[in-house]
Amino acid sequence: MDSESNITRRRALVAGGATVVFGGGVAYLASRSESSSEAYTPSTYQSLGGTTGYGVELADRPVVGERDAPVDMYYWTDYLCPFCKEFETQTLPKIGRNYIESGEVRLVFLSYPNIGQYSMPSAHWDRCVWRLNAESEPSTYWHWHGEAFEAQSGGGHDWADEETFASITERTAGITVPAVEECRQENSDAIQSGIEVDVSLARNSGVQGTPGFVLYNRDADAAGKIVGAHPYENFVDALDRVLEA
Amino acid sequence: MSAADGTGQRHLRSLREALAYPLTSDRRLLLAGGATGLTYLVLVLSTFPQFSLQLVSRDPTDIGYAVSTLTREVYLTTGWIGLALVVLYALLTGVALTHTAALYRQTRASGATSLATVLPGVLAAGCASCGAGVLGMLGFVGAMAALPFQGNLLRAAGILLLVGFLARTGDPRTCNVGEIS
Repeated sequence: MDSESNITRRRALVAGGATVVFGGGVAYLASRSESSSEAYTPSTYQSLGGTTGYGVELADRPVVGERDAPVDMYYWTDYLCPFCKEFETQTLPKIGRNYIESGEVRLVFLSYPNIGQYSMPSAHWDRCVWRLNAESEPSTYWHWHGEAFEAQSGGGHDWADEETFASITERTAGITVPAVEECRQENSDAIQSGIEVDVSLARNSGVQGTPGFVLYNRDADAAGKIVGAHPYENFVDALDRVLEA
Repeated sequence: MSAADGTGQRHLRSLREALAYPLTSDRRLLLAGGATGLTYLVLVLSTFPQFSLQLVSRDPTDIGYAVSTLTREVYLTTGWIGLALVVLYALLTGVALTHTAALYRQTRASGATSLATVLPGVLAAGCASCGAGVLGMLGFVGAMAALPFQGNLLRAAGILLLVGFLARTGDPRTCNVGEIS
């Protein structure tokens, strides 16, 4: 066998070094934490009814922004989805300040439980927190929603259970656990069918995961789709295109 | 020494030789490294194919952003164990594909056209990939997350399949016709 076919110390070192760099690089990418964008709290919320031209049922869905904003941003989410948390902390505050507060976009929260066992119950908690506060103090929903994403921790979905969501609710001013529990029990079927409507629309729109978005210009009846936690610049491009449609 | 111990030791030695095979030439090492990197890329991007396609088709230079955010997503969804299994799978696939290339060349050089020589490697790499993330590519988004241990059991099974293939092949330049005592 020629020397070309022997295991040399140089090749062993190169292979070992490359493996360490590869593993280390992956570990670095996994563990790095992005600095969150400056917090955003909306100034306007809407509790609406009816169905939009795109086919989204608005009753019982949280809507953020001006009622007559020309573009709807339908946002399918799941509290167990780390990618949704990335969107909420990195991109949503910028969209809020630059598009929602300017009255150009209204954000509609829709459920798409698809990640883990507690995805569906967490969506029920969400609907009830909105139901109980939509007319009186809608910002309570916003704070609860932020706390729920804040509770996410890495390495699986074990963090998500009754106890965690009860604790999030206890920590949120303006809402109580017994009130939400009562709402969940009394409206379980209605909430379930509402969530199924959202999921069905997501699938019909070709949204295959969360976070998923459809940007819809109601006057022009023009829509665009974004799936995943894209960088803010991609949302700007898409929103500007749909606004100009 | 019992027959079972002997077989076990033979398989271990065979696996060691298989893992060391890419170190026997610069070209093989490069091939294994390239295949490892490419496999990792495919596995990570396929965890959310719709996002990856949208991002890369808009601007191919965003592939770095896609790999970086999806690597973090894999860690957050499956933990360090899940991520380590994906890395291990990529490394083993790199070695397995180097073997498959060698077996293919030998088969062609000998004039044989037996697909059976190359097929196990391709099947091992291909089937095991289901356990490492390609389910998402088939539209089963959330399928891995819904499985026990967020799909880590399936990933581990895929890795076992690859290890089995490598232990069976050993050094692809030699013929395993049995132990000479």
